[in-house]
Amino acid sequence: MQDTLQTLVSGLSLGAVYALVAMGFSLVYRTMGLVNFAHADIAMIGAYAASTFYLTSKLPFAVAMVTAIVVTGAIGLVIERVLRPLENKDFDLMLIGTIGFGIVLQAVAVLIWGTTGRAVPSPLHSAPLNILGIRVRTYDLLVMAVAAIAVVALALFLSRTKRGAAMQAVAMDHEAATAVGIDVGRSNALAFAIGAGLAALAGGLVGPMLYVDASLGGALGIKGFAAAMLGGFGSIQGAVVGGIAIGVLDSYAAGHFQGYSVLVTFLVFTVAIMIRPTGIFGERTVSRA
Amino acid sequence: MSRISQPSAPRTLFAAAIAVAATLTACSAPGDSDKSGSSDSGPIKIAVVDARSGQLSSLGGWEYKGAKLAVDEWNKKGGINGRKIELKSFDDQGDPTTGTNLARKISSEHYIAMIGTAESAVTIAMAPVLKQAGIPNITSGQSDGLVALKSEFLFLNGPTSTTYDSTLTKHLIQDKGYKKIAMITNNGSYGTGEHDAFTKAVKDLGVTPVTDQVVTTDQKEFSAALTKIRAKKPQVVFIGSEEVEAGLIVKQARDLGITVPFAGAAPQGTPVFTETAGKEAAEGTIVSSPYLGNDVSPAAQKFAAAYKAAYGEDAELHGAKAYDGTSILLTALKNSKVATGKKLADAIRATRYDGLLGQFQYGADGVGITRTSIGVIKSGALVAQN
Repeated sequence: MQDTLQTLVSGLSLGAVYALVAMGFSLVYRTMGLVNFAHADIAMIGAYAASTFYLTSKLPFAVAMVTAIVVTGAIGLVIERVLRPLENKDFDLMLIGTIGFGIVLQAVAVLIWGTTGRAVPSPLHSAPLNILGIRVRTYDLLVMAVAAIAVVALALFLSRTKRGAAMQAVAMDHEAATAVGIDVGRSNALAFAIGAGLAALAGGLVGPMLYVDASLGGALGIKGFAAAMLGGFGSIQGAVVGGIAIGVLDSYAAGHFQGYSVLVTFLVFTVAIMIRPTGIFGERTVSRA
Repeated sequence: MSRISQPSAPRTLFAAAIAVAATLTACSAPGDSDKSGSSDSGPIKIAVVDARSGQLSSLGGWEYKGAKLAVDEWNKKGGINGRKIELKSFDDQGDPTTGTNLARKISSEHYIAMIGTAESAVTIAMAPVLKQAGIPNITSGQSDGLVALKSEFLFLNGPTSTTYDSTLTKHLIQDKGYKKIAMITNNGSYGTGEHDAFTKAVKDLGVTPVTDQVVTTDQKEFSAALTKIRAKKPQVVFIGSEEVEAGLIVKQARDLGITVPFAGAAPQGTPVFTETAGKEAAEGTIVSSPYLGNDVSPAAQKFAAAYKAAYGEDAELHGAKAYDGTSILLTALKNSKVATGKKLADAIRATRYDGLLGQFQYGADGVGITRTSIGVIKSGALVAQN
């Protein structure tokens, strides 16, 4: 019983990170109908940037995180600007473009930070909490709290602000949105920037839990993508549920199937997607190709 | 800027972006063509193949530095038979497929010998091509799988996993009296080798591990395996994985409240392991190693001083291993008057060499050294066990 709960706790914290990654995927998909394949590598750049500001520039962790989010937000804007002329013209090229950007970002990371990664020490120095024999890292609690705040903030932004509502409108029908005077380009740019910021948030938070190197995007991206699919691509609450589901599933699979855990995780995922192709909260409304 | 004329611009841009990406990822692949095909004159060409990018790149870096130090010393003395020794580094990215391609490349470019790799899996992948091409290879790998290949062209510059682990288990079980031993290893070539060698070594001493956890090589989160280990309340945890992964395992184990010492082989004696785990978490780790530091002998002190002067950092095991391996190769080249192929392999086998790791004497299996010592990590540094 104790083991089961301990495994659950570990799965939840990584699940929160996957949820953040999935939210970034979903937000861009929701507004543009585009899967941003550079997303995971933006998260990797975010992790590197946060660790550099934190360890090398000695900024406080929170400040380092915010700076990293600003940096990746800018990268998101650049990617959107380059892709903009293709919007509604050549969708496949846009997809390939995001893959290209991902490769470029990895190469840039190697150029800037070199080939060896770095271990980031936890910014919280307090000892893990001991609740009925279950060890909970204080940093894990922080990660879950920050992820929860990000989810609420994004949901509020989309539902309560004018700009958020405009983004929703663009997602539903961009021609009608243009007709009523909404700037589709700006809406897309904002989606990309927020998506990239979320990626940096995920990457920066995961740094002290895992290990920061150029391949981090691969590890985060595949799970985040699976989380978005499982929850229903384009759905924010789906991203959260999917992220946590993948995190917990992964954690239990690692406990029971050891070296084959990744295989088991993705087999379960495949079966789930076969049963419900649109994911848990999925509804196929976005199709802008 | 008219919208209609735009599509060609972004197309070019994408093509450029992808081209840049391709160039950047490929820039580590050497593009030199073969200059001197002859092996009787001109520089003696030796290849160093190692991971120079990715998670295993620190290993590759150390090995290259050790090999280069030996070559530089020989070149300073005038080379071999008046010929300079030319060392060239190739990046295998720690990937067996890349390694196999590189094996063909160094064969077609007439390198007469190869140093590396530090990765058993890559070395095993390269071995058949090198054997066919008749290129002797001195590897830093230690998996028993290397010996199983029975290639007369393959030599190890250190002990095998069996040697590391039988020394370690003797210390843990006989000296320390530990009976409850937990294991965590990865399913890569190194980890599997350690898993099998350690399991056999403890069984030989009549002990069965309380739990045997296997993780993958790219895993970064180990709570599930560590939770199982914690539940068994072991007295010591054996760890069979490379530097970074081992560091992460120990870091996360401490967070989960596992306070007992960890024990392992060469990777656990490196600064990368200690840095990744954190100094406090790594404290007390028991290490089986043929090279316990730079102060153990006058030869080691001399090597460490030269290493520090050349690279501005402290020497460690892998640099020392590569230095020994390269020195053996150069000695064999000198003794055989720059022979190649089978003759060079025979010359390496015949070389007796008093190295940093000990007295090398190769058997038919390609293993030249069969002893390690026990060290402990104290205040972030590996010191000999008293």
